[in-house]
Amino acid sequence: MDAFVTHRGKVAVLDWSDVNTDLIIPARYLTRVERTGYGTLLFADKRYVADGSPSAENPLQHGDLAPDFPINRGEFRDATILLVGKNFGCGSSREHAVWAVAQAGFRVVIAPGLGEGFADIFEGNSFNNGLLPIELPDDSWKRLVDQLRAGGEMTIDLQNKTVTSHAPGSPEQTFAFEVPEENRQRLLKGLDFIAETLLEEPAINAYEKNAPAWAAAIG
Amino acid sequence: MPSSLFEKVWNRHEVLNRGQASLLYIDRHLVHEVTSPQAFDGLRLSGRKVRRPDLTFATLDHNVPTENQLDIREPMSRRQVEVMRANCKEFGVTLYDIGSGRQGIVHVIGPELGLTLPGLTIVCGDSHTSTHGAFGSLAFGIGTSEVEHVLATQTLWQGSKPKALGVEVTGRLAPGLEPKDIILAVIRELGTGGGTGYVIEYFGEAIRALSMEGRMTICNMSIEGGARAGLIAPDDVTFEYLASGNRPFSPKGKAFDHAVADWKTLTTDDPSAFDRLVTIDASKIVPQVTWGTNPAMTVDVTGRIPEPEHVPFASKEDARRALDYMGLTPGTPITEVAVDVVFIGSCTNGRIEDLRTAARVFQGRKVAPTVRALIVPGSEEVREQAIAEGLDRVFIDAGAEWRQAGCSMCLAMNPDKLTPGQRSASTSNRNFEGRQGPGGRTHLVSPAMAAAAAVAGHFTDVRELLPAH
Ligand code: SF4
Repeated sequence: MDAFVTHRGKVAVLDWSDVNTDLIIPARYLTRVERTGYGTLLFADKRYVADGSPSAENPLQHGDLAPDFPINRGEFRDATILLVGKNFGCGSSREHAVWAVAQAGFRVVIAPGLGEGFADIFEGNSFNNGLLPIELPDDSWKRLVDQLRAGGEMTIDLQNKTVTSHAPGSPEQTFAFEVPEENRQRLLKGLDFIAETLLEEPAINAYEKNAPAWAAAIG
Repeated sequence: MPSSLFEKVWNRHEVLNRGQASLLYIDRHLVHEVTSPQAFDGLRLSGRKVRRPDLTFATLDHNVPTENQLDIREPMSRRQVEVMRANCKEFGVTLYDIGSGRQGIVHVIGPELGLTLPGLTIVCGDSHTSTHGAFGSLAFGIGTSEVEHVLATQTLWQGSKPKALGVEVTGRLAPGLEPKDIILAVIRELGTGGGTGYVIEYFGEAIRALSMEGRMTICNMSIEGGARAGLIAPDDVTFEYLASGNRPFSPKGKAFDHAVADWKTLTTDDPSAFDRLVTIDASKIVPQVTWGTNPAMTVDVTGRIPEPEHVPFASKEDARRALDYMGLTPGTPITEVAVDVVFIGSCTNGRIEDLRTAARVFQGRKVAPTVRALIVPGSEEVREQAIAEGLDRVFIDAGAEWRQAGCSMCLAMNPDKLTPGQRSASTSNRNFEGRQGPGGRTHLVSPAMAAAAAVAGHFTDVRELLPAH
């Protein structure tokens, strides 16, 4: 996994609440057994004109972009930071949703509401894929969305835990954010979390020795 | 300090506690074909093994056609199924394959096999893993990276401990009402994000009165309220379920007695152990029907489609988008909304009790000519049991399609799909846009309400179809 320290990039805004993972990537694409090729499948039922969504076999072949879908707007082209509404990523646990967001080029997703910006599983999956989910207080998030609705850039500094907006013709705004320290360290170093856990094997062995007999699955 | 059931199970499973994060031991890892191929690939790439193949169990459910399970025409689906078989073989994992007699939706077969026991930690790459919490286990869905982590280490890192939300359901359900109505009413109260960061424990008179099947329906939809897991303290109903039937992995003899003694300690000491408490009166619940595009957008069967400004937990714009998508006009009584397809099945309502309830409504009646009704048992075992009880005849005589086991139209990965604009009454758990096929419109209901809609051709109050008690 690539390390994440600071990132500056363009912003896209999709301020709908309760965007679920079926919307982020519909189930018909989950027949794929690969870990790549999900970028064009992001919002496949919204992002393209009618009948324009790609097939699972040929993700790269798709119709024109739907002009009315927010993130397709010209000012959001090549965005790497996505501002989203509350409870983003709710529903199914499919990690394909995070793969789609990340492989479409996003490195950061920012949602409003401390503890309620992201659905729990989506948030965990994001950290495990180097996609940084940031929750901001409602009013800070709103000030960013108001400022960046017509496009702009942001800088995300994971070392200092701040986000800063850069919008043409308006003053920069900086807000502090919090992420779980374990996840922050893992992202800063780009660590493989399985290798890290396997260093704890003695503790796992000890736990297994003491587990109650009935907990074994003896068939 | 009093502790909650959830905390007790959590604490028992801490291999390490680093303050900000805990490493939890995982007792059962359930695997299906959709969320595991990339995880097994990861193991292969790094030369790792499955640490505890004896605690890892797989089945095929999401892709399986339910008209003829063996005839997987869609090449990508077929490949995914074949990859699952090959991975199980290579890594020594038990697979309950199609035709084994024990295949089915992962959350239906876990309890049937006796894999799901009180006090265990259970994970699966599937958000409805919360179903298993009905036995007093801590069960939750994980992503594919975490599937790989559990395969390799039999443990999982969890950030700070979730908070405990107590949902007390007092009183008794009236006739014609079902566990599904309880959970839809709970989600309506919480909102789809209301449980985020929490584990829910359901308790109270109405919960105690439920069978294990009913409790599973409730815990199943905890995720729809945003909660990571839902659980119910084990009691005699739980122990009887585990001692009965053909459950090869449930402890036997002395081991069972020891287990029960231990399981009896798995209760919340005192309601003050909950970080938050919500109370719902079951006797006031009437049949619930979702009208919108998330499971909190629900009305009573006696109600009307709401105005966009009066939708709790949704902005006016979000509500309007939902109304547009669903093709509904505010003010319309829900009973005037006609349905094209009725789906009875899924890990929420695909168990034997659900089929019995539906059969009671279908008995002596016909599916309306404008409706296509699919009855999809949750597992091969449920199917066999239903046939033994003659329920299949009731469904077939009513003009419904009697299918084989799988997820089917719950998420439309197999050929069972809505076509654009079609409207369903569905016993599944998600009414998201496109969930049952692109452009499809889903209304979530109980099995009794689904059967009633199949017969009437539109939503109707099932209480009027049932014989007076
Ligand atoms: S029945 Fe539906 S919700 Fe349950 S596991 Fe299958 S797809 Fe998921």
